[in-house]
Amino acid sequence: MEKITVRTFLEECRRDLKLELLAGEKGLDNEITQVEIHRPGLALSGFVDIFSYERIQVLGNTEVAYLDSLSERERTVALNRLVEFEIPCIVITNKNKIFAELIRLCDDRAIPVFRTPLTTTQLVHALGNYLSEKFAPRIAMHATLVDVYGIGVLITGRSGIGKSEVALDLVERGHRLVADDVVNIIRKGDDVLIGMSNELLQHHIEIRGLGIIDVRSIFGIRAVRKQKRVEVEVHLEDWDEEGNYERVGLDDNYADILGVKIPQVRLPIFPGKNITVIIETIALNTLLKIYGVDTAKEFNKRLLKRISYQKKLKEYLEHDTE
Amino acid sequence: MVEKTVTVKNKLGIHARPAALLVRTAAKFKSNIYLIKDGQTVNGKSIMSVMSLAAEPGSKIVIRAEGEDEKAAVNKLAELFENKFEED
Repeated sequence: MEKITVRTFLEECRRDLKLELLAGEKGLDNEITQVEIHRPGLALSGFVDIFSYERIQVLGNTEVAYLDSLSERERTVALNRLVEFEIPCIVITNKNKIFAELIRLCDDRAIPVFRTPLTTTQLVHALGNYLSEKFAPRIAMHATLVDVYGIGVLITGRSGIGKSEVALDLVERGHRLVADDVVNIIRKGDDVLIGMSNELLQHHIEIRGLGIIDVRSIFGIRAVRKQKRVEVEVHLEDWDEEGNYERVGLDDNYADILGVKIPQVRLPIFPGKNITVIIETIALNTLLKIYGVDTAKEFNKRLLKRISYQKKLKEYLEHDTE
Repeated sequence: MVEKTVTVKNKLGIHARPAALLVRTAAKFKSNIYLIKDGQTVNGKSIMSVMSLAAEPGSKIVIRAEGEDEKAAVNKLAELFENKFEED
């Protein structure tokens, strides 16, 4: 998302951030386009050469104490410097006092002013989280996301290959469904992908021949999960004689989702193959790798040791000219 | 049935990576494929079997294929040994 309106921000954060609207109601359709937050201390004191006015402006104890120290006329001048810019909105923290000049100016300039009892640190933290999630890169993928032994397994593959059936099988074995068919994925920071269900679909699965089933109603709360970090992708594909499938697991394949690389396993399927058990094993193997054990590498080390032993033995025997 | 004796020429011998290349290549042929080292015969399409040979550099391996494309299979696999499994 590239922008949200102040109205949306108010509706979604009013409760958590305990916001009360004091002025500038006409400006509720102002747009917030920046994920960062700004404290305009320097701008109030006159330095506006560099002023990140397009961000949400937070007036904390410092700013309010400074404004309080000014005469009424000086305060109007200081606040004027602020509001002559196209500011999306202002938030006053710590339930600080409100200046009549601020209310008047912001009503005139249609800049919403909110007040919260939260401290500046609390507000900046909560608001930062909210904004970074709102502005996070996102993608909707045709896939299924299941929490298998605590590992977020994203199951992909062509329509009808059996992603939902595998998910159902996993749920039946005690794993937790996050989303089926449409997985909304957002990127947090540089390297974390969080997957969640579409608001409407929630924990419903479509099983061909059966129709839509509600996993939560059937299997209970333990069978579902709201969101989960995506840690490995299992790509189901039709068995192909020519397909170069991984045989050892030494070469790590990666999938790129929103610029984040996650391990990818290409899994050829055919009748009679128990995909569920294989996916459980993939999850556990991923867990092992996270804990620093790479089975394929360890095994190859053993093999190389054995080979070099045989080589040495042979050389020894060859040079033993008794 | 076609047989051909080859030598392991790459420095590290048939460790996991060359073994994977061998079985992936072998799997493309319809013939049954066997690798024989020091009298031990293993299925050339099974990675664990091929690795169990622990074939060291300099060792001799007999490639045996039985089936409609046996000749092509043996030649293709011999080529891998000759090219040092694209290693070194």
